[in-house]
Amino acid sequence: MVFVEVSPGIFINFGKNEAPNKANGWAISNTGFIIGDESVLVIDAGPSYQYASEMIEYIKKVTNSQINYLVITHHHPDHSFGISKFLEIDTKVIISNSELKNYLKYGNKLLLQMKKKVGDDWFENTSINEFNNNKQKFPFSIDLGSRKIDINLYTDGHSGGDLTVTDKNSHIVFGGDLVFNERAPTIPHANILNWLRYLDEISNFNWSGLVPGHGPIIKKKNKLDFTKKWIQHIHYIARDAVKKGLSPAEVLELGVPEFLSSTKLAKETWNRDVPVLMKHYENDN
Amino acid sequence: MYFIRGFLCLISFMLFFINLANAGPFSDFKASAILSEELASSPTQKRDTPNSESLKQAINLLDPEKSEIWPELSRLFLGELAKVNFESEIRVIMQDHVEEPHEVPLIVKLPDHLHNFKEFILLIENNPIQQVIKLIPYRAIESIGMNVRLEDDSPVRAAVKDKDGLWHIGSKMVFVSSPGGCSSPSCDVTTEICDPGEIGKLILKNYDREAGAGRLKIKIIHPMDTGLVSSPAGEIIPEYFINSIFLDDIDGPIAVMETYAALSTDPVILIDLAEKGQSIRAKAKDSHGLEFFSFKNSSIM
Ligand SMILES: [Zn+2]
Repeated sequence: MVFVEVSPGIFINFGKNEAPNKANGWAISNTGFIIGDESVLVIDAGPSYQYASEMIEYIKKVTNSQINYLVITHHHPDHSFGISKFLEIDTKVIISNSELKNYLKYGNKLLLQMKKKVGDDWFENTSINEFNNNKQKFPFSIDLGSRKIDINLYTDGHSGGDLTVTDKNSHIVFGGDLVFNERAPTIPHANILNWLRYLDEISNFNWSGLVPGHGPIIKKKNKLDFTKKWIQHIHYIARDAVKKGLSPAEVLELGVPEFLSSTKLAKETWNRDVPVLMKHYENDN
Repeated sequence: MYFIRGFLCLISFMLFFINLANAGPFSDFKASAILSEELASSPTQKRDTPNSESLKQAINLLDPEKSEIWPELSRLFLGELAKVNFESEIRVIMQDHVEEPHEVPLIVKLPDHLHNFKEFILLIENNPIQQVIKLIPYRAIESIGMNVRLEDDSPVRAAVKDKDGLWHIGSKMVFVSSPGGCSSPSCDVTTEICDPGEIGKLILKNYDREAGAGRLKIKIIHPMDTGLVSSPAGEIIPEYFINSIFLDDIDGPIAVMETYAALSTDPVILIDLAEKGQSIRAKAKDSHGLEFFSFKNSSIM
C-alpha cells in the first residue's frame, strides 16, 4: 500500500490496474483521504477489512486529525468491503441510499465469490454490516477544519447512486467509477445514457485533477473520451444484439471492437459486461 | 500483507507459464480447431486462473482419449455401444473463461451435413448434473443455444446423432474463475432466497435471419433448482426444474426437449430453423407436473 500525496493533505493509493487475482487481493481500485485541521475524510474503503486496517494505520502515521468520515462512492466490493473496519472505529459512513441497499443485498454473495476466486485469507474479518446512513440528502458540504468538501450524488449513472467528492481548496475531484482512466469501464449496474450525461457534466467542472475510480489521475478533459466511447459502443452493440435475438455467446465471439481493444482489461471487461447489459435490455423489452 | 502476497503470487504465476509452455496438450487443444478461426485469431487474453495443475488436468480432459469421465459419460448418455466421431466442424461457441458460473450462454452451430440430425445432447463433463438437454427435432435445425450452469472448469460436449446412428461430437473447454454454478445460490446467500419471479411465464420470440431462415427463442421464468444448494437456514432446496419443452407451428411439431437443472435459472433456448416458423407455440412442463404455455387455449396441444 503506497499513498501518494498528490496535493497538500490529499493522499491516494492507486489500485493495481489489473483484474482481481490472488496476488492483488482485489485491491484494484483507487482509495484516498483528505486531511483537514480536525477531521480526515476517506474516499472508499478498499476491498477488505485487512485493507482498511492498513489504510487506517497509514492515516494515523501522517496526521492526528480524527478519521470522522468515509465516503463510499458506490457499492462495488473493491470500493466498499473495508466498511466493516471503519465501523469499528466509529467513522461516519456516507453512501447513497440505493448503494447502501445494494451493498446489503449483494454483499454476501459477492464476498463468497471473491473468496473462491482469490482466496479466503484476503478477507479475514471482512463482513457485510448493516449500518445507518441517516438517509443523507445530497449534495451537501462537510468542513474538515479549514477545508471544505462537497459531496455530490449522480443517480442511476454508473451505479444506482455514485458519489463524487470535491475538495474546494485544491479543486481536486474524486469521481469514483463514473470516471475510468486507461482502463475499460465496468458497467454491470449502469444506465448508459445517464452516465454519458454525467460525464459531460463532470468534464465541464473546473477541476485541477480528476481522480478516477481506476487508473492514474486525470489532468486533461480529453482523457474522458475513451470511457464515453466504450460505454456508447457496448450499449449500442448489446441493444442491437437483443433486437436481433443473438446469443451473448455469438456477440462475444466477435471480440472487442478493434478501436476499444487496446486498453487494459478490455477483453475481460467486455466479456463480463456484454451479457449483463443484454439481459437488462431483454428485460426492458 | 498487500506487499508480500504480491511477490509470492508472482512466483506462482511464473511457474504457471513455465508449466503451460511444457504442456503439450494445450497446443494440441488449440490446433484441433476446437476454437473457431475467428476466436483463435482474436487477441489472446492473459489467464486469470493461475492454477496450473487444474489447467493441465482440464486440458487433458478435453482430449477424450485422456478423459476419465468421457467413456462413462458416452456409455450413460449416448448408449452402451455408441459409435462416436469427434469433429471440429461442430462449433460450440462460448467464452473460454467464465466469471458468473450460474448463467453461461452458449450456442452450438452445426455444419450443413448435420442439419437433419436425429438427436442432440449437451453434456458438461465436470458438472454434478452432466446432461443439460436432449432434443429430438422434427425438421432441420442449424443451431441450438442455451444458458447453462458450470460447477467448475469443464469440457462441454455437444453430441449430435445422424440418420445412420453415428454420434458426432463437438467440444469446448471452459474455465470457471469462481466455481459453484450448480451448488451455490445464484442470489444472496444469507439474507434471502432467490426472488422467484412469475414461475412459468413463457416468452416466445421469432426472429428473421437471412434468406427466409428463422430463429426462435424461448425463455421460461423458473428457478431450475438443482437440489444441491442450501437455503439460508441450512436446508437443501429440493430439485425443481423444467423437464420438458415442446414446440410446434402451423406445419406441425418442430422439436421436443428433455431438460435438466443444469440449465440456468430462467432458461433460454435458441433454435435456428432453415425456414422461419409460422405461429410458433411452446409448451413446457416442470418436475412438479405443472404445465406452461406460450398461448391461451392449451387444450389444443
Ligand atoms: Zn470499481
